Amino acid sequence: MSQPARIFLDDGEGTTLSRFSETPVHGPVESNPAGNVESSIHPVGTKLTLFPYGPSTGGLVESVYFDILTYGEKIENVSYDHTFKNRSIRVTGLTPREGLLRLERLNGVHSASYSTLFCDAAERAAGLDIPEEVKLARVAMMELERISSHLFVASRLTGGASQNIAHMNILLIRENLLRIIAARFGHRYFFGTNKPGGLARSVDLDGIDSDIEKISEEYGEILNTLLDSRIFIDRLDRTAIIAGEESAGPAMRACGISVDGRQFHPYYKDLSFRCVTWGGGDSLSRFIVRSHEIAESARLIRQVTSKVLRIRESSEDFPPVNDSQAGGFMETPSGDASIILRFKENRISRFSLASPSQYNMRAFSRSMKGNTFADFLFGFESLGIWISEMGDIA
Amino acid sequence: MDLGDGGYRMKAWILRSLRKGIVTTKFPAGKNEAVSPWSTIPVYRSGDRNPYCPSSAIKDGSVTHGSCISCGMCFPNFEPSMDVHTSQSGKVIRELGKSIKIYAIDSGSCGACNLEIMSLSSPQYDGTRLGITFTNTPRQADALMISGVLTEGMREALLRAYDSMAEPRAVFATGACAISGGILGKSVSTILNTDVIVPGCPPDPFVIIDSIQKLRGRQ
Ligand code: SF4
Ligand code: SF4
Repeated sequence: MSQPARIFLDDGEGTTLSRFSETPVHGPVESNPAGNVESSIHPVGTKLTLFPYGPSTGGLVESVYFDILTYGEKIENVSYDHTFKNRSIRVTGLTPREGLLRLERLNGVHSASYSTLFCDAAERAAGLDIPEEVKLARVAMMELERISSHLFVASRLTGGASQNIAHMNILLIRENLLRIIAARFGHRYFFGTNKPGGLARSVDLDGIDSDIEKISEEYGEILNTLLDSRIFIDRLDRTAIIAGEESAGPAMRACGISVDGRQFHPYYKDLSFRCVTWGGGDSLSRFIVRSHEIAESARLIRQVTSKVLRIRESSEDFPPVNDSQAGGFMETPSGDASIILRFKENRISRFSLASPSQYNMRAFSRSMKGNTFADFLFGFESLGIWISEMGDIA
Repeated sequence: MDLGDGGYRMKAWILRSLRKGIVTTKFPAGKNEAVSPWSTIPVYRSGDRNPYCPSSAIKDGSVTHGSCISCGMCFPNFEPSMDVHTSQSGKVIRELGKSIKIYAIDSGSCGACNLEIMSLSSPQYDGTRLGITFTNTPRQADALMISGVLTEGMREALLRAYDSMAEPRAVFATGACAISGGILGKSVSTILNTDVIVPGCPPDPFVIIDSIQKLRGRQ
């Protein structure tokens, strides 16, 4: 079985963090495939045609630019530039609470995962052990977010494939989910729920498990119908095939690699879930992995609610943190993200982050050769790439 | 009978979806069924009238709508207003009353504003019942709906999109980033006149619908 790549995060000052590790070490970096990819546009020959796509187009959710080089029907090469919407987010020099506001807005769609990644590392840097129930509440947030994110990807694929009834039903249940999240957490995207040291607002999870079970079941019915549709399957089957080693999350697991950051994360140590894998590495496999992960997330939420129902906001101030550092990782809905966080005199003095979209975008670009133009959007959407999290943050 | 392509199961399932009944809101004629509490503009509740606000949106017990990043840090001195009518439109274009085509453009967003704009296509909102549709090209658009801070890379794309639109046209600044720059950057109003501001981080879909109605003079 293939293994995930040995990917490191390098803070630029000789401190590195290996994948799925919480302990930064001082040492050299062997390779860092998460770095920016240089565009390598083929020279345009007589039979090659170059299609510029983006940076703003109604066909894409976020701003990103592609050069699509085609040879007749087939794509010869895809290169990309994700920097058009780069916000250059700065967190160094900020307090933990101010830094958190930026992390929540790095990728607002995966805000629960990024805010938890940040808070968890900050808490360990401060030597603070937070209550188990807060960790469980964060798991619930991240699993709800995973369902929402996976439903969004499914809506993009079904919409693109003109599966209108399935598409509308997926939009319907995702909106229901967002309303459940808003009612329980005060915000549809969890902004302001986390805080370094605990939760910023009290959370009541009583009954949420059955609401989510219902959503999961409804999605299961939609999935069964979609898997019966030859038209839908044909759109995704054998398109944008990636080699799993240098990808992340569902994209990696859809290559048969049974690795998920949650298997190693202390927050999940007393919870059980199936690491969903599929073979093939194509858009269809990624869709299937995400679809089954929805049911696993619902199962995790049920386990959380069997342990805790009401979690109180944390009223204590975050302790002073000085000359201390921590690393961390978290399985976001698109794959594992890692950070190295250093503090001096209560301020963030050094910050580095690797996001899954950095790996997955590169894998996407490599996967396109030999595909048709029509496969392009399905390949891209099936990877759940978020351009916002590819921007620089330091 | 062979229905093909998963026919039997599909049919049963369509019937089940129909049985779910009407899910579409009556808003704006009726009341909004839901709202994202902290995406609404906070109002003063008790105690300190000038608590800490990371985007300096609070002054003497009131909140500057376009600056609020929905962080909730002013609680318990402030609480969510739950008001979905907080957008403001500097102009009214009645010609768009029947139909408005929107081009959504991301000038540097976190993604959440983009998804809330797209939510208008969900059955619960069904923008088409109000004549609200999205177009893939600014040339066909009546309105530019911008999300995110103004980034250097998107400056030209934004201006080009605006220049290619025919009159009458309108520009929406959707979310705190686009309106004021929030805590992450510059406002898009530094290069374009924004006609409608849609507050929130991100604005709730009901707030977005209300803002479109205001532009059309239909609220
Ligand atoms: S929610 Fe946050 S940004 Fe908005 S007024 Fe309160 S403290 Fe300021
Ligand atoms: S206003 Fe808030 S939700 Fe919208 S793009 Fe900015 S950070 Fe994201």
